[in-house]
Amino acid sequence: MADNLGDLRTPLGRVRFLGSARMGTNDAWLIHVTSVALVPLTVGFVWLMLDLLHTDYNGVRAELGRPVPAILLLAFILSGIVHMELGMRSIIVDYIGGHSRTWALAANTCFAALVALACVYATLRIGFN
Amino acid sequence: MASSDALTGPRRPRPMSPHLSIYRLTITMAMSIAHRISGAALYLGVLLLAWFLIAASADAATFAVFSEFIESFIGRLMLFAFSWALFHHLIGGIRHMIWDAGYGLDAPLRDQLAWATLIGGFALTIVVWGVGYAVR
Repeated sequence: MADNLGDLRTPLGRVRFLGSARMGTNDAWLIHVTSVALVPLTVGFVWLMLDLLHTDYNGVRAELGRPVPAILLLAFILSGIVHMELGMRSIIVDYIGGHSRTWALAANTCFAALVALACVYATLRIGFN
Repeated sequence: MASSDALTGPRRPRPMSPHLSIYRLTITMAMSIAHRISGAALYLGVLLLAWFLIAASADAATFAVFSEFIESFIGRLMLFAFSWALFHHLIGGIRHMIWDAGYGLDAPLRDQLAWATLIGGFALTIVVWGVGYAVR
């Protein structure tokens, strides 16, 4: 137990990942930074969507093909998806335990990454086509 | 010694934990739950945005499928729910920033902020949808 002095968890507790992993500060920081960023970005996103409301396919592509709306959209998507991944992670940790938690956390990360990739790919494709 | 009394003496009655079924629902509790529910709704709602962008990046026929869906009753209802969740979560987030800064935690103001979240979320949704239908 000599190596256990700075860590009051039992060896069994440690291998079961019980207690703090000392990685929470970065998550807490990121969810706060993205939440602050998302306030102006959401206003911009809603403005952009209202602008696109009464346009057709060509109008949407022309607007999203311009740099400023595309960059605004990409910033909204990326900070939004980081924010929602962290938010869903805390929901999972609150309500799900055991092996289901591990699978749920992995599924959450994969879902967020996939949606982010799809949105970024589509937005860039509109811009560069 | 006081410390050994605490260890060896008769046990002091422990504080009772709140009994959830008889716990009075407060507006701050309700808005805490609503913040989480609206966040989870946005988690699924982002699929609408992904569909919109993928359709717009594909051809006109693919975009027409999305257009037809979002203009249908179900589509509009989902978009309305998405926009309410977005505005509610946005205002709720600002309320949390105010609290994180150490303001508005006292009894009257914290309830007023919670009510402002509820009313503000619906008000913003209705105003934005009003603008959407009015401005062409």
